[in-house]
Amino acid sequence: MALEILPDARALRSGRRERALAQMEAHDIDILVLGRQANVRYVTGAPQLWVAGTRPFGPICEVIRSTGEIHLNSTWDEGIPDEIAHDHLYGLAWNPMTLIEVLKKMPGAATVRRVGTDSLTPTFAQLLPMAFPNAELVDAEPALRAARRIKTPDEVAVLLGALGIAGQALEVARAELAVGVTEQTLTGAMLEAMAAGGVTTPATQDGAWVTPRDHPWRRRVGDGRVAEGDLVAFAAGALADGYVGEVGRTWPVGDAPGADPLFRRANELWERLVSACRPGAPGADLLAAYESAGEPLPSTPVAHGLGLGFDPPVISADLPVTSAEERLEPGMVLAVTGYVWQEGVGAVFRRDAVLITDAGSEVLTSGPAVSQAAVGASSVVTNA
Amino acid sequence: MTTLEAARGAGTFDIPDLPDRARMYRECGARLRDSMRDKGVDALVLLGNGNVVYASGVSWPLLDAGLSHVERPVAIVLAEDPHPHVFMPLREGSATVASESEVPADHVHPPLYLEFDEGVERFAAVLAGLLPSGATVAVDELTGAMRRAGTRLFPSGPPSDAAAVVGPAKLVKTPDQIACIRHACRITEQAVTDVQASLAPGVRQVDLSAQFVRRAFELGATANMLEAIWQVMPTSRATGTWTTTGDLALPLLTTERELAHGDVLWTDVSITYTGYCSDFGRTWVVGDEVSDRQQAQFEKWRSILDAVLSVTRAGATCGDLARAAIAANGGSKPWLPHFYLGHGIGTNAAEMPMIGTDLGQEFDDNFVFPAGMVLVLEPVVWEDGTGGYRSEEIVIITDDGYQSITDYPYAPYGRSVR
Repeated sequence: MALEILPDARALRSGRRERALAQMEAHDIDILVLGRQANVRYVTGAPQLWVAGTRPFGPICEVIRSTGEIHLNSTWDEGIPDEIAHDHLYGLAWNPMTLIEVLKKMPGAATVRRVGTDSLTPTFAQLLPMAFPNAELVDAEPALRAARRIKTPDEVAVLLGALGIAGQALEVARAELAVGVTEQTLTGAMLEAMAAGGVTTPATQDGAWVTPRDHPWRRRVGDGRVAEGDLVAFAAGALADGYVGEVGRTWPVGDAPGADPLFRRANELWERLVSACRPGAPGADLLAAYESAGEPLPSTPVAHGLGLGFDPPVISADLPVTSAEERLEPGMVLAVTGYVWQEGVGAVFRRDAVLITDAGSEVLTSGPAVSQAAVGASSVVTNA
Repeated sequence: MTTLEAARGAGTFDIPDLPDRARMYRECGARLRDSMRDKGVDALVLLGNGNVVYASGVSWPLLDAGLSHVERPVAIVLAEDPHPHVFMPLREGSATVASESEVPADHVHPPLYLEFDEGVERFAAVLAGLLPSGATVAVDELTGAMRRAGTRLFPSGPPSDAAAVVGPAKLVKTPDQIACIRHACRITEQAVTDVQASLAPGVRQVDLSAQFVRRAFELGATANMLEAIWQVMPTSRATGTWTTTGDLALPLLTTERELAHGDVLWTDVSITYTGYCSDFGRTWVVGDEVSDRQQAQFEKWRSILDAVLSVTRAGATCGDLARAAIAANGGSKPWLPHFYLGHGIGTNAAEMPMIGTDLGQEFDDNFVFPAGMVLVLEPVVWEDGTGGYRSEEIVIITDDGYQSITDYPYAPYGRSVR
C-alpha cells in the first residue's frame, strides 16, 4: 500500500489476463461474468473494498473473449487500470434488474453461445438468460482455476510481499506472548501490526489460540488466557495487494513439559511434507507424508494453493480422490500445514508457503519468522 | 445535545445486557422454520456466511472473501427438525463451534467442499439421507459443482432462492439479537473513542485502522467485517474522484497517507460480536476546528435525521422515510445516488430493507416496517468547501416510534446546539 490507491502493475495484470483469456479459449467461454472478489481482481487488477466473508453472487465484472475488453462494477475510477475506460464502468446497484440491463448492452450479449459464471444464485440463474438469450450458462471456475493455479513470476513477487507482512505481524504478536495475556489481545496485536505495516485487509482473523491438551483440535472454552506451559499457536493471514500470505507458528509459554519431543515430531513431519512438494507428484503425497511420519491427518486441509485467495489444489483428508488426482506443477504456491498433537501437552502448528519449482520446491517464508520459531522451540529444550 | 434522543414513543424494547444465546438460537430457529412453512419449503441449504450464522447461531472469525467460498460452513435446515445440520470446516477458528454452539453434537459434521465434484458427491449422499422424497428445497448459492450435479443433488427439481425464506425471517430481531448488535456497537464505539482521541496532523489513515482493530479485538470482537474507512473528503464535487453518477465517491480505500490539519473525514467501520454486525459512521475534522459553515452542515444533517425519525415507527414504509428526508433537504435526496438513506443490519452489515435505491418507488412504498426491525440511517449533506456531513444512527423500530442503539457523540460538531 502506498499514499494512493493504484491498480496492480501493468505487467502483473496483463500476465494474468493472458492466462485467463487462454483458458476462456480452451473452455470455449465467450463472456465471463464474475462475482467472486479474487476472480475479479485476477482479471481486472483493480483493488476493491474489503468485506469479510462470502457474498452472494452478482455480476461484478465481465470479460469479453473476442476483444479482451473488461467491464467492471465500480462507481468510481480510483484504482481502476487505464485500459478499463469510464464507459466500461457501471455503478453499484441494489436491483438485480439494473444489472441485467447493463449486461444486455455488452457486445455480443444477444448472440453469444457460452457464458461462464463463477457461482450463481437461483435468482441470477433465472435472470441471466434475459441478458444472454442464446447462451448456455456454464461453470467458469474450472477455467479460472486452471489460469490461477500457476503463478507468473510477477505474482510470486507480490505473494512474497504478503508473506513478509504476515510474518512480521506474527512476530509482533509473538513478542506479546506472556502468562495472562488473552488470545484476543494477541490477535489484536497481530492485526494491528499488519495494518500499521500498510495492510488493513486480513485474510484470516483467528490470530492466536492456546492449543488444546485434551482433544486433537477442539478449542478450550474459557477466557482465552494464556498460562504457563501452554503451547500457543499463531496464524497470520494478510491480504496484501490482493494476494494471500499465510504463516503459522507455535510457541511454548515458559516451561512446557513434553513440548520438546512434540516439536521434534513436528520437525520430522515438516521435512516429509516439504519433500512431498515436488513437480509431478500427486497432491496425495502430502497426505501420505502424515501417514509415513505416523501422525494422524489434521482436520484442516494439509495444503492449499495460495494466490488471490484459495487457489487449487486443496489437499485435504476430506477430498481423497481430488487430492490423488492433483499433480503439483512448477509455479504453484502452496500453504502447507504441519500439525501434531500430544494429549496432555497440546499441538504444534506450522504453516509455510512453498513454491513448486522445476527442481523441487522452495520455502518462501523466510527471515525472522522461521529462524525465531526454531529459537523458540530450542530455548525450551535448553530450559527443560 | 451531543447524542441522539434515545427514544420516541412509549413502547420500548427490553434488551438484555448480553444475549442469551440458547434462547436466541431457539427463537431464530422457530422464526426461520415458520418462514419455511409460509413459503412451502421443506429444506434450506445455506452456504452464505451470514445465513449460516443466522440459522445455526454459530459464529467464527470470518475469512477473506477469496478464502471463504472454499472453506465455509454449510447449514441444512429442515422444517421438521428444530436443529440445523452444520458442516464445519475446522480451520483454526471454527474449531470453537463444536464446543460452544447450541447445535447438538449429532448435528455437527465434517466440512463439505462444495467447490469440488467430490465434495458435491458426498453432499448428494448427505441430502438424500436427510430429505424425504419429493422435498421442496431452497438454496442461497449454487457452486459450479452443484450445478453440474443437477438432478442428482436435487431430484425433485431446481431449488428456489433461499433469500426469499431467510430474508423475511431475518427482518424482525429478537431481543437477544438486538443485544448482540448493541454489544457489537458498544465494542465499536469504545474502540473508536480511542481512535478519535489520537486523530492529529501527521497520523496516517492506516494508523487509525491499526488502533481500531487492536482495541476492537481486545474488547471482544469476533471479526472485523469491513476495511475501516477514514475517507478524506474533497473540497468540491468537481475536484473529487470521478464517478459514474457525477456525485461523490464513497467509500474510498484507506492508504498510508498522512492526515493534515483541517481534513474532513467520513468514517465507516463494522465488526461482529457473536456473528452480529455493528455499523459506525461519524464525520471528524483533523484538529477539531469546525467553521460556521461546517457547523451548519451538521445542523442540516440533524434536521434531516430528526425529520426522518419523526415518521419512523412500525407501520411506516421506506417511502415515508425517504419522503421525509427529501422534504427536510429542500426537495432533493440527502443520500448518495449509489447508496441509500438507510438499510437493515444483522448477521450482514447491510440487510433488507434498503431505502431509496434503484429497487424503486414501488418497493419503497410497499415495504412496511414491523416492530423489532433494526435500521441504520445514514443521510448525507454536501456543500462544496465544507467537506459535508455524514453520520450513521442505528434505531430499533417500535410500535409507536423508535429506540436508539447508537451512543456516540458528534464532536467536534454539534457544540453550538448543546
